[in-house]
Amino acid sequence: MGNVSLVTPVTESNSPVARNRRTRVIAGIIMAIGLFSLFVFGLGTHAGSHASLTFDPLNPTNGPWHLAALTFDAHWTNIGLGIVMIAIGVEVFWREPRRFVMGRFGIVALLFLFTLLVWSARGPGPSPINYINVTSLLVSASATVMVLIFGSLSGIMCERAGVVNIAIEGQFIAGAFLGSMIASTTGNFFYAAVGGIVVGGLVGLVLAFFSLRYQSDQIIVGIVLVTMLSSLSSYLNLQVLTPFPNFNTGNTASNIAIPLLHKIPLIGPVFFNQNGFWYAMLILLGVVSFALFKTQYGLHVRAVGEHPKAAATVGIHVIRLRYINVVLGGAIAGLGGVAFMATQGQFQVGYTSGLGYIALAAMIFGRWRPSGAVVASIIFGLSVALSYELVTYSVPVSLYVLQMFPYLITIAVVAGLIGRVRPPAADGQPYIPG
Amino acid sequence: MSDLAVPPLRNQKPSLWARYTSANPLLIAALALVLGLVFGAIVIAVTTPVVLDAWRGIFHHWDGLPHALNVTFDNVGAAYRAIFTGSVVDPQGFWHSLTTGKGWPNTLTPISETLTYATPLVIVSIGVGIAFQTGLFNIGANGQAVIGGIAGTVIGSMINLPTFIHLPFSLIGAIVGGMVCGAIPGLLKAYTGAHEVIVTLMFNYVTYAFLLFAVLSTPFQQPGQSNDISRTLDPSAILAPLFGTSSGLRVSYGIFVAIAVVVFAWWLLDRSSLGFDFRVAGANPSAARASGINARYVIVVSFLISGGLAGLAGFVQVASTTHYIDGGFLIGNAGIGFTAITVALLGRNRPMGIVWASLLFAALSVGGRNMQASTGIPLDLATVIQSAIVLFVATPVLVKEIFRLKKAPTSTLQLATTGWGT
Repeated sequence: MGNVSLVTPVTESNSPVARNRRTRVIAGIIMAIGLFSLFVFGLGTHAGSHASLTFDPLNPTNGPWHLAALTFDAHWTNIGLGIVMIAIGVEVFWREPRRFVMGRFGIVALLFLFTLLVWSARGPGPSPINYINVTSLLVSASATVMVLIFGSLSGIMCERAGVVNIAIEGQFIAGAFLGSMIASTTGNFFYAAVGGIVVGGLVGLVLAFFSLRYQSDQIIVGIVLVTMLSSLSSYLNLQVLTPFPNFNTGNTASNIAIPLLHKIPLIGPVFFNQNGFWYAMLILLGVVSFALFKTQYGLHVRAVGEHPKAAATVGIHVIRLRYINVVLGGAIAGLGGVAFMATQGQFQVGYTSGLGYIALAAMIFGRWRPSGAVVASIIFGLSVALSYELVTYSVPVSLYVLQMFPYLITIAVVAGLIGRVRPPAADGQPYIPG
Repeated sequence: MSDLAVPPLRNQKPSLWARYTSANPLLIAALALVLGLVFGAIVIAVTTPVVLDAWRGIFHHWDGLPHALNVTFDNVGAAYRAIFTGSVVDPQGFWHSLTTGKGWPNTLTPISETLTYATPLVIVSIGVGIAFQTGLFNIGANGQAVIGGIAGTVIGSMINLPTFIHLPFSLIGAIVGGMVCGAIPGLLKAYTGAHEVIVTLMFNYVTYAFLLFAVLSTPFQQPGQSNDISRTLDPSAILAPLFGTSSGLRVSYGIFVAIAVVVFAWWLLDRSSLGFDFRVAGANPSAARASGINARYVIVVSFLISGGLAGLAGFVQVASTTHYIDGGFLIGNAGIGFTAITVALLGRNRPMGIVWASLLFAALSVGGRNMQASTGIPLDLATVIQSAIVLFVATPVLVKEIFRLKKAPTSTLQLATTGWGT
C-alpha cells in the first residue's frame, strides 16, 4: 500500500514505544481470534464433516463455464485456518512489522468469518445448506465494494485538497433518491447517473460554500448536511414517492456482459458481468489515481491539502482548487448513491445504513490513496457480504449480532490505524486567504 | 473560544439600537430561526401538489399570480399554525377554557407534550454540549441513550426492589450503561487517537443491532410476545406524571431530573476545576498541554459524563412515556441523540442556552406531529427546519451578511478538533 514519502512527525501517539505497544495489542487480538477459531470452529467440529465451495452463479443461464464444486474436510480446514491466524498473530508480535499491520488484521477478520461460514455450512450439521457459493458471495460483496470505492474516492478528492467531506452519506442519499426518481420515470440509468452527479455536486458545492467562504467547521457542516438530506429524503419519500409510486418503481440496472471474459469462472461474474456503474467505477479509479498522482493538477491539489500557504505563494489559487475538488468529490459520491440504488432497487429511507461513513473509514485505512482505499473497500465489502451470507445458514448466533460485525471491524481498524497514518497536513483546517 | 476572547470595552457604551442590531449570539440564533422557517416554507411550497398546481396556472388566469401566492401562504400558514397549536397552545381552546373553566387538560396537552419531549432532550443535549466544550464531537449520544434506556429498563422491569430504591437504581443503571458506551470511544480517542466521530457513529449502528437483539431475546422480551418489545417497567420504577395519571397530561417528574442535570452542568462548567480543564482543553489544546492538563484524563472523563447523561436521558424517555422499549426506540427522526447535536450547537453548549434550544426543538418536533395529522405534511419537515437553523447558526457571518448586521459576529461553534487529529 503506497509509501508515505514525507517524514511523519514524531508525536506522543506516534512514538516508537506507543507504536510497539499498539502493535502488540493488535497481535494479541489476532491471536485471540485465531484461538477462538481453532477451538470452537475447528476442534468443535466433528471430524469427518464436510463443506463444499461451489462456483456456479445462482442463475447459471449464460453464466460462466462450469467449475466443479470443491469439497473439503470442515474439521481440518478450520483447524488449519485457525493455526494460520495464530501464526499471523505471532508474526506480528515478534517482528512488529511497520506496514500492513491493519491489513493483516483485516485478512484475519475475513478468515475468521470464513471459518464461521465453513463451520455453519458443515455437513452433517445444523444447516440444510452444505455448500458455500463463492461466486454469489463475491458478486454480492462487489455491490458493496463498488459503493465504498465511490465513497472513498470522493473522500480522497476532498481531503487531498484539505476539506473533510463527512457528508458522503448525505451525497449517497441524495444520489440514490434522485437516481431512483429519474430511473423510474425514464427507465434509463444514464440519465439517473447524470442526475446523481449533479445533485451530489450540488451538495458538495453547499459544503464548499460554507466551509470555504465562511470557514465554518467542516465536520459540523457535513453532519448537518447529512441530517438535513436524510430527513429531506424521508420527507420527500412521504410527500412525493408514496403518493406517486411511478417515481419509485425500483427497477435495477441490467448487467453488461463483456464478451468472452465473462465466461471465466469466478472472475467473469465478479468483474466482467456487472452493471455500467461497476465499469464506471473502474474507469474513475484509474482517472482519479492518474489525475492526483501523475498530473500537474494533482500536484497542485496535494500541495493545497498539505500546505495551502506555500501553495498560494507559488501562485496556486487555493480556494478555487478546493471548490473544484469538493464539487467533483460530491459528484463522485452522488454517482455512488445512484450506483447503490441501481443494485438495491427501490429507494427506502435510511437504506444506505452508514455506508458513507464506512467509506470514510476505508479512505483512512487506505491512507488517502486510491489503491489503499480499494484494499480497504474489499475488506469491508467482503465482511458485510459474509455477515449477510451467514444469515442463510441457521447459525446459532443472532442475526443482529452478525450485523454488528462490519461496524466493529471499522472501529477496530480506525482505532488501530490513526496515529500511524498521516492525513494531509491541512485536512479540515480552514484557509484564510491573504 | 469566546470564553477566552477579550471582552468588549465596557466604558464605550454603544447606543441601544446599535447594541440590539449588532451581531450578538442571541440575535444570530433568532435570525437563524427565521431563516430556517423560511427555508421550511420553501420546502413546503415546492413539494405540495396544490401549491405547484397554483403556480402552474399563473399565466392562465388574470389573477393567476395573486392566487398562487394566496395558495402558497395558505398552505405554509396552515402548516406553521398547526406546529404552533400542536406544541404551545390552541388560542381558541385556551379562550374556551378560560371563559368556561372546562377542558383544561385538553388545552394544556400541547405544552405538556412539548415539556415531555424536551425533558430527555435537555439531558442528552447537555451531555453533548459538555463534550463540545471539551473539543470532542459525541455523535454517538443516540447509541449511548439506547444503551442507557436498555440498562435502566432491565433494572426497572426485571429486578424487584423496594419502591423508594427502585427508581434511583434504575436511573443509576441507565447512567452506568451510557457511561460504558461512552467510555469506549473516549478510551480509544485518548489512547489510540481514533477519531471520535467515526467511532461513535459506528457505535450507533452497533447499538441499534444490540437493541433489536435485546428486545428479541428471552429474558428481556415481553413474556408471551414474539414482537420486538421489552418488558414493561414496574410501577415503582416509572417517572410518574406530575399531575397524576387521571389528568392525562404526560409531563412527569423527569422534569426535576432535567433541572438537576442543568444545575450539575452549570456547576461543572462554571464552578469546578475539572470543568475549567475541559474548557481549556477544548479552546486551546496546546495551551492545555503546556499548563499540565492531562489530555487523556480530560477526554475520558468528558466522554464518561457525556455518555452517562445520554444514558440517563434514554431511560428518562422510557420511564416518562412508554414504560417499555421496542425495536424502534430512538431510531431515525425519533433519535433525540441526533437532535441533541443541533440543540447543543444552537444553545452554544451552555446549560441555559440548551434549555431554551431544547424547548424550541421539542416544540418543532411535537408540533410537527400535529402538522402531519392536520395538513398531511410529513413530520420530517421539523428535522429539515432544525438542521437548516443549525447550518445558519454555525455560519454567523452568512446571517450577518443577509441581514446586514453590524460588528463582527462571535462564533463559538468552531470545534477545536478540526480534521482527523492525531
